[in-house]
Amino acid sequence: MYRRWLWPGFALPGTLWLILLFLVPFYAVLAVAFGTVDPILQQPVPIWNPLEWNVGWMTETLSRFAPGGTFYGVAIRTIVYVVVSLALCLLIGYPVAYYISRHAGRTKNVLLILLILPFWISYLMRMLAWVNLLAPDGYVNRFLTFTHLLGEPRDWLGGAPSTVILALVYGYIPYLILPLYAALDRIDRSHLEAARDLGASPLRAFLHVTLPLSKAGILGGAVLITLPMFGDYYTPNLVSGAPATSMIGNQIDLYFHGGPQPTIGAAITVLLAAFLTVLMAYYMWTIHRATHEVRDV
Amino acid sequence: MMRHPKERPGRFDRRELLLGAVGAAAGISGGSFLAGCSSSTEPEGSSPTGTTGEALGPGGLPLARPDKRVKLPLWEDPIESGLEPESGGTFTVFNYPYYFYKKLLREFGEKYDVEVRYTAFDNIASGIQRLASGAVEPDVMEMTPDNLDRVVAGKLVKPLNLDYIPNLKKNVWPELVSPFYDVDSHYTVPYTCYATGIGWRSDHVKEDIRGMSQPWDIFWEAQAYKGKTALLSESRETIAMALLRKGITDINTEDPKLIDQAVADLKELYDVCNIKVGDSQFQTLPEGTSWLNQAWSGDPIAAYIYYLPKGTPASVLQYWKAPKGKVPVQNDNFCICSTTKKPVLSHLFLNYMLDNGVAHSNFVDFNGYQPPINEIDPGSLVKKGVVPRHLENAILTNNDFGPDSLQEMTLTSKGDQLWQDGYSDFLAAG
Amino acid sequence: MTTVAERQAAPSLSTWERVRGWVTNPWGRPRFLVLVTWGYMIWAIVPVLIAIQFSFNASRSRTTWAGFSTRWYWGDPVDSVWNDPGLRHSLEQSLKLAGADVLIATPIGVLLALGLARWRGRGSRPANFLMLFPLVTPEIVMGVSLLLVFSHVFTFVHTGTLAQILGHVTFSISYVVVIVRGRLFSIGRQYEEAAADLGASPTSALTRVLLPLLAPAIVASAAIVFAISIDDFVISQWLSSGEDTDTVPIQIYSATRGAPLPSTNAIATIMLLVTFVSILLAFLVWRVFTRGERRAAQSTAESMGAFTV
Repeated sequence: MYRRWLWPGFALPGTLWLILLFLVPFYAVLAVAFGTVDPILQQPVPIWNPLEWNVGWMTETLSRFAPGGTFYGVAIRTIVYVVVSLALCLLIGYPVAYYISRHAGRTKNVLLILLILPFWISYLMRMLAWVNLLAPDGYVNRFLTFTHLLGEPRDWLGGAPSTVILALVYGYIPYLILPLYAALDRIDRSHLEAARDLGASPLRAFLHVTLPLSKAGILGGAVLITLPMFGDYYTPNLVSGAPATSMIGNQIDLYFHGGPQPTIGAAITVLLAAFLTVLMAYYMWTIHRATHEVRDV
Repeated sequence: MMRHPKERPGRFDRRELLLGAVGAAAGISGGSFLAGCSSSTEPEGSSPTGTTGEALGPGGLPLARPDKRVKLPLWEDPIESGLEPESGGTFTVFNYPYYFYKKLLREFGEKYDVEVRYTAFDNIASGIQRLASGAVEPDVMEMTPDNLDRVVAGKLVKPLNLDYIPNLKKNVWPELVSPFYDVDSHYTVPYTCYATGIGWRSDHVKEDIRGMSQPWDIFWEAQAYKGKTALLSESRETIAMALLRKGITDINTEDPKLIDQAVADLKELYDVCNIKVGDSQFQTLPEGTSWLNQAWSGDPIAAYIYYLPKGTPASVLQYWKAPKGKVPVQNDNFCICSTTKKPVLSHLFLNYMLDNGVAHSNFVDFNGYQPPINEIDPGSLVKKGVVPRHLENAILTNNDFGPDSLQEMTLTSKGDQLWQDGYSDFLAAG
Repeated sequence: MTTVAERQAAPSLSTWERVRGWVTNPWGRPRFLVLVTWGYMIWAIVPVLIAIQFSFNASRSRTTWAGFSTRWYWGDPVDSVWNDPGLRHSLEQSLKLAGADVLIATPIGVLLALGLARWRGRGSRPANFLMLFPLVTPEIVMGVSLLLVFSHVFTFVHTGTLAQILGHVTFSISYVVVIVRGRLFSIGRQYEEAAADLGASPTSALTRVLLPLLAPAIVASAAIVFAISIDDFVISQWLSSGEDTDTVPIQIYSATRGAPLPSTNAIATIMLLVTFVSILLAFLVWRVFTRGERRAAQSTAESMGAFTV
C-alpha cells in the first residue's frame, strides 16, 4: 500500500541526526585521543586519519591502568562500587518487582505509580535530599541516636565509601526495578501453576521457573544501570568529595578541566567506552532479539 | 585560580571547554613571531609532546619569575595617545562570574554612553578557549599572570598605551606597577590579589596553628578532624603546599623527584584525615561542614561578610598565611582583547577600574577580593569594620609582593604535565 | 489433636514468635515481600518529601525545622528563587531546553519509529542498532564526545544553549522511538489495511488512521522527553558556556557541594512540580485518546516497560 521509500524516508531524519551527533562525536573522541596537543593554548588537536594516529597518549594512558599505575586503584574501586551497588539494587529491587508483579492485587496500580514516581524526580534532587538527611544534625543521625542504634552522630558525608554506595543504590535503583517488573509481569502464570501442580514447593517453583524466566530482565536491568554508573563522577562529588572515594569519571573530569593533557581525558573516555562495549553489545543484542520476536507489525 | 565569594551558590569544577583553536592555531603557527617552539600539530611518534630545548613557556616566551623579570614583546603597536573614546553600542567585560560590581559597570556605561555587558567564564582556561575560538568577542578580559604568555603568544590581547591609564602609576602598589611577568605593563593592569594559607574553625580545631613551627603540618596531624578537612582542588596549590611544608620554596619546580615526593606526602592524608578536595571553603567553613581548609585569603573575608550564619560568632573564623617568601601570593589582571572594537574606551575602562573609589567600592561592596591599591590597607579596613581584627592577616600589603615573593607562574609544557599528573595521582587515590 | 475434653489453653507466644509467624504466614500474602516493598517505597519517597518540606523552612537550615515560610520561593529579597537572578535564570534555561527538546525530538523520533518498525530493507538493522546506542551510552562519554565535536567539527556551534539543545535531542530521540514503537506493535497493520480496503489513500491511512491511534504514545513520549530533559545534568553541564546557560540541576549540584540553602530545595521542588504537571497533562490527554480501549491498564505497563528487555 505504501511506497517503498516511505519508511526509509521516515527514518532518514532521525538516522542522519544520530550519525551527525552521535557517531561523529564519538569519532571525534577517538581523533582527539589519538591526536596531539597544541602547547600554546593547551588545546587538543584531533587527527582524523587513522593511518596518522598518534598512539603516544593512548599507550601512556593504558600504562596507567596497569597494576601499579596511577589509574589502577581508581579503576578497581570503580568496579567494586558498581558491583556492590548492583548487588544491593538487585537484593532490594527484585523482591519489590516480584511482589508488585505477582501479588499486589488491588494495590497494584498504586504501587506502580509509586514505582514510576522516582523517574520524575530529578537525580540531583534525590541526592540533595540525602545530603540534607545525612548532615551531622540531619534526620538520619537524629533518628539513629534517638533509637540508640548509634552511640553518637556519625559523619556520613566525610568521605565514606558506604555513603557513596548508598547514594549510587538510591539513585539508580528505580532504573532497575521498572524493567525488572516489566519482565516479571510478562511471565505467564500458567508456568507457575504447572510447576505447583507438579508438586513443587513455592520456593522451588520460584527457583526453577520464575528466576530463570526473569533472567533476561535481570540482566537487562543490570546492564541498564551499570553502564551509567561506571561513568558517574557527580555522585562521589556530592556525597563525599574525598579522593579516597573517587571514581574513574572524576579522572576524565580532571583532564578536561584545563591543563596540558586533554588527550589523556579523551583516552580514558575511549577506554571506558571500550570496556563497556561488552556490556553494551550484550544489552543491544538482547533487545534486538526481543524486538525481532515481535517483528511482524 | 580564584573563586568568587559571591558566586551563588558556589560554582566549582565547571566544565572546561576544549574548543579547538582551529582559527587560533592557524593564527599562532602562521603568525608566531617568537622563535623556536615546535608546535606539536604534527603527529608525534611515541611520547607526549614537549617544547624544544631550554625552559621556555608557550610561544617560546621566557618564563617569568619574581626574581626573573620578563618584558613581553609587542606584537603590534599600541594605539596612539590623545584619541577620543568611542561611544554608543555595547562594551563587553569578560570575567569570572560575579567578579565585578554591576553598579560600577553601569556607571561607566552611563559616563561614556555605552551599554556595558558582562559575560562570564567558568575559569580562566575555558575563558581563553572561548576567546581563541571566536565564541566571544569581548573588549576587556580578566587574566592571570600564569596564562599571560599564552594569550600574548596567541595575539589574543592588545598592547597597552599607558597614557590612557594614569591611575596605574598613581594608585597601584609600586611592586605591581611594572610587575616581573609584564615589565613596563605592556599588556596588563592588576585587578585583585590574594594569598594561599589555612582557614579553620577555632571552635572545633583547638590547635594553635599559628604557633606551630610548620603550620602546614596541621593537616598531617588532623586525625581528630577526619572528614572535615579539605585542600583546594587545584593541581598547583595542593602540590605547592606539600613542597612548602617541607621547606621547598620553588613552587614552580619541574623536578620530578620533588613533585613525586610532594604527591607521596599528600597521599598520607587519606589515612590521616580522609582529606577532601574542593573550592567551596568560603561557604563550608562558615557553615561548619568543614573545619580545616587550605584557603585563599579572600575566603575568610567573604565568609565573614556574606556567609556567616546568624548565631555563629565571627571569632570562630581563623586564618593563617606564611610570611613573605614562604607564602604563595597571586594577583589577577585585566587585559584588552584583540577583538575589541573600542580600544580607547577599553583603556579608559582599565583606568576607571583602578580609580580609588571604584576599586574600593568593588571590593567592599561586592567583590570581597582586595585590589592592590595604595589607599586600601589593612589598618583602615579594620577601622571601618570591613574586616574583623583577627582576620587582619587575610589582607595583603604591597610588602607581600617583590622579587623574593612566591608566585605560581607559567611552566614549560613538560612541567605542566608533571604537575597535572601528580595531582591526578593524588586524586585517584590508587 | 485435642479432644473437646482435653482442650487446653493455647500456648502463649513471645513477641518475636508472633512477628515471625505473621511474616512467614504461608496462607496469606507473602508478608516478607510486602514489608520489603512498602519499606522500599517509603525509603524511595520520604527523603524527597522531607526535602520539599524544608523548602518551606523559615530559617536557613535544611536540617532543623523552624516553621513554615515561603521566603525561599519569593519572600527573601536576595536568596529566594524569585529574587536570585542565577536561580531564576536557570529555571528559564531548563524550561527552554526542555521545550525545544520536546518540539524537535518528538517529531524526529516518531518518524524514526515508524521508519524503523516497517522498513524491511538492508539499512534497517544498522539504523536500528544506531538508534539503541544512546540508550546504553554513559552520559559522560556522550558529554565528552559532544563537547569535542562542537569544538572541532561543528565549530559554528559553540557551547551554550544551542549545543545543549542539540545534545538533549540526541539522547531523547531513542526514548521516543522505543515508546512509539511499542505502541505500534500493539496496534498492528490491521487498521490501515482496513482503511485501504475502504478506499483510503496511503496518506489518509497514515494521517487519519495511524497517527490518531499513535497519539497516546506520542503524547507519552513527549512527556517523557520533557521530564528527561528537565532532569538532565551531565550533558547540560558539559555543554554549558557558563552561568548564563546553567540549568536547575547544575545549580542544585553546585549548591549541594557548597552550602545549600533551602532555596536549593525550593528550586528543586519547583522543577518537580513542573514535571508532575506535565506528566499529569500528558496522562490526561493519553486517557482521552485511549478512552475506547479496553486494556488500558495493560498498555500503561507496556509503554512504561517498552524500552527495556
